[in-house]
Amino acid sequence: MKNQNSKRGALSRRGFLQGIGAGAGAAGVLTPAALAKLRPAAPESGSAAAREIELHVNGRARRVQVEPRVTLLDALRQRLRIRGPKRVCDRGECGACTVLFDGRPVYACMVLAVDAAGHRIETVESLGTPRRLSRLQREFVRHDAQQCGFCTPGFVTAATALLRRNPQPGEAEIREALSGNLCRCGTYPKLFAAVKAASKGGRQQRAASAGGRGGRR
Amino acid sequence: MAKKNVRAKGGIILPAEQPAAAGELRPVAWERRVVDTATVEVAVPEGEPPLWDVETRPQVVGKPLARLDGPVKVSGRADYTYDQHPPGLLYGKIVRSAYPHAKITRLELERARAMPGVRAVIRLDAADLQHSSAAAAAAEPGTPAAVQPRQAGGQSRNPIFAGDEIAAVAAESEEQAEDAARAVVVEYDPLPFVADIESARAPDAPRVHAGQPNVRELPAAHGEDGDRGDVHAGLLAAEARVEGEYRTPVALHNALETHGVVARWEARDKLTVWAATQGIFGVRGDLAQFFHLPPHRVRVITDYLGGGFGSKFGAGMAGIVAAWLAREAQAPVKLMYSRKEENLATGNRPSSQQQVRLGAKKDGTLTAIEVISYGTPGIGHGAGVGGAARRIYACANVRQQEHDVATNLGPAAAFRAPGWPQGSFALESALDELADKLEMDPLELRRKNYREKPFKALRRQYEIGAERIGWERRAHWQRGTGPVRRGLGMATACWPTFGGPPATARVTVQPDGTVTLTVGSQDLGGGTRMIAAQVTAEEFGLTPYQVRVELGDTRWELYGPASGGSVTVTSIAPAIRAAAWKAKNQWLEALAPGLGTTPDKLRLAGGMLHGAGAPLPFARACARLRQATISAQADRAPNYQRSLTEMYGAQFAEVEVDAETGRIRVLKIVAVHDCGRTMNRLLAESQVNGGVIMGLSYALYEERVVDRPTGRVMNTDLDFYKLAGTREIPEIEAILLDAIDPRGNNVNAKGLGEPPIVPTAAAIANAASHALGLRLRELPMTPDRVLNALAARA
Repeated sequence: MKNQNSKRGALSRRGFLQGIGAGAGAAGVLTPAALAKLRPAAPESGSAAAREIELHVNGRARRVQVEPRVTLLDALRQRLRIRGPKRVCDRGECGACTVLFDGRPVYACMVLAVDAAGHRIETVESLGTPRRLSRLQREFVRHDAQQCGFCTPGFVTAATALLRRNPQPGEAEIREALSGNLCRCGTYPKLFAAVKAASKGGRQQRAASAGGRGGRR
Repeated sequence: MAKKNVRAKGGIILPAEQPAAAGELRPVAWERRVVDTATVEVAVPEGEPPLWDVETRPQVVGKPLARLDGPVKVSGRADYTYDQHPPGLLYGKIVRSAYPHAKITRLELERARAMPGVRAVIRLDAADLQHSSAAAAAAEPGTPAAVQPRQAGGQSRNPIFAGDEIAAVAAESEEQAEDAARAVVVEYDPLPFVADIESARAPDAPRVHAGQPNVRELPAAHGEDGDRGDVHAGLLAAEARVEGEYRTPVALHNALETHGVVARWEARDKLTVWAATQGIFGVRGDLAQFFHLPPHRVRVITDYLGGGFGSKFGAGMAGIVAAWLAREAQAPVKLMYSRKEENLATGNRPSSQQQVRLGAKKDGTLTAIEVISYGTPGIGHGAGVGGAARRIYACANVRQQEHDVATNLGPAAAFRAPGWPQGSFALESALDELADKLEMDPLELRRKNYREKPFKALRRQYEIGAERIGWERRAHWQRGTGPVRRGLGMATACWPTFGGPPATARVTVQPDGTVTLTVGSQDLGGGTRMIAAQVTAEEFGLTPYQVRVELGDTRWELYGPASGGSVTVTSIAPAIRAAAWKAKNQWLEALAPGLGTTPDKLRLAGGMLHGAGAPLPFARACARLRQATISAQADRAPNYQRSLTEMYGAQFAEVEVDAETGRIRVLKIVAVHDCGRTMNRLLAESQVNGGVIMGLSYALYEERVVDRPTGRVMNTDLDFYKLAGTREIPEIEAILLDAIDPRGNNVNAKGLGEPPIVPTAAAIANAASHALGLRLRELPMTPDRVLNALAARA
């Protein structure tokens, strides 16, 4: 779903099948004694020339030096100090690093930074600030659609993309659109409710029912 | 301590309006119904604020208000340990054993040391790395404990699981650290190992811990909440008996923020760490001990934590290694585990194989409960199955015999209600089998046998849950026919109340009107910050959003307990209320003379000071004190009465099973719980939803898979270790009853983190078994297991 094209590149970058993981693929047929003969594989040539690229992040052009193997996620976090997108699985399974890539939600851990050059990247930081939250973010707060909050930037970003694409999604569409994101605290029911409330229909419903719950102050 | 006897009313507060389905907005109902009341005498220690009882109607506490830190979290501005980036930061990486058991024949670090950007390389194979206290006495402050034996020519410790720590590196970029870790040369002589319970229990099995048997019987508990009576006699006296073996998998915590620490030495004997931890003081103690420092020279900060679920107590290897690397490199080091490391080496919920025997009279009265369990905590310990068999039902004859079976796999750690979901699954499944045998309604069997206690809400919880799920439909359903079959099941939740002293809180009121609450706790995501603010605001008649909360930092030297065992609110909220109450009284005393009145005539409500002419806004009243800062500190008083009621609950599940594909779909869970006074209904519902979803995931999807020939974990990622996601979430009704026992603490709190995960898997298993007309005795209930069970019957 999300940016599967880059999966192959990212895997080889990480060298998942090298190093101490060398036997994993063939584990079923190798005896421990045979495995012992394997040596850790030679390190990847770490010094593949770093190059300067320009990333368009949250409306600003930023120049960064990256090796070809550096992911967009690591470039954002470690080079540009943008901390909203989180690294949880580092292989496209959890959505905590979701960013908008030319408006589409993608896993930033599955995109190489060099491939992101020239594209428009939006992170959760551009969607609102604590004092000026987007409507969706306000609904997240109001419904308690976050617990530990580590997955929250990813969910907010993915849901923002959904609402831009479809301002009035049904519950099935919400579940589908957020199915690439994981929350271990189990906040899902309130996530669905928050997205629903931020949708076009939800807003009207909310206006009709006086008050509602929560809210700040 | 001097005490004052006070009469107070306990009882149960029922929600007046049944909640709507999850996800629907509903008006907040404040009309509540108080039932089952009784007046008791409570001995309240001096210095405690006025007692709250079932009639108390707090203005801020209990309201479903959005959490204080919501805006920071939803905008990506919450700073986790993972987000810390002090100047000059290096990245750490651990080299781990590829073998479940081996002798290290060569460990060569020089090549790694010479790699570009590498600033430190250390060995972690010293024999006594984790037993540091012995060498402590003579050591220089700041020296790592393990340096001593290594310099003395100490032997390499043999790795005893695939993932065991061998060496670590720190480098200027994370990529460089990864390269350097790969450049560390380790040669092994593989040794025999055990990777499953059956082989570990064999008489000639290789020993996991040298010199110790693999199987260890856990100490038995006795008395009212432990083993009692004579199970053999109870089984003989029974008119109906059931017996079965139940199995549960090893489950992995998978908190989204992995274990990790950012460490920075401020001086040779002064260390600051940002730690992903559930207990800042535990981390401080461990690091102080390991580096031979006085505790106050170590500062631990946990501003935000990306989940822990029991796996994040103490400094752990991540903390020790990060600080050690930082010391070697003389620069701050960030060491965040990868998902794979997280799932190999930081903890898990142990497996269980439980042999259960139950006996009962024809009328359903239980005469015997026997549980004999074996589980593997890997190289760790603590594979017991909790207290479900001993504490939930009143049975005269109970015996639970538990065994740890060591295997060459990563160590277990506490995991949300350690042992209980395992025990609940076996016991509650067996109870349903017994109900079938007795031709009795399973809920009726529970009603007949649960233990009655004062101010216990369980009877009400059974009633409400049954009504909300539509339990009466169950009797009429045709069982086990057609391709898609529906079933209903239920189970009981229980968790003992552990909260109590020590915990200390401080409340400060500044002349500019700022009220600051400081407490040595940490917020795991349950909403500790918000509840702390609410309790403070309650005393000052403010909104919680007007309170500044400081937590997650040891530098204030205000001790708070580690957040585990559902103790946080129960431990800290009473200290916070006492501190806020004291501070308010001091403030009123300071203010009254200037207003020409006495403090007893003044009252704070709605952000205003009442009682001296026209109501005065709080901030303006503060300004009258000019420079004076009011500050009060209070300790958590002991629980007014030593033995508290446990938290109880009941969960009901409706499921659909496809007998052709074997797929179980949970349609609805009704979860009725009690945490004493619900401090914030919105947050409490989130906790309940979270426990239910984690329990559902455990019931249907989660299982660590080990390749037995190699002793390696095959699913350390989030693709092959399946967690419930958006498409698996049923409708959940989270309902909270407040069982108020005024003999506990000054806010009537009990705790809520663990109980909601306890019965979920059992309730789902009972519903699925009801649907199929056969018993599913192994978790997770994956389609293959369902189909196998169907095939076995056919």
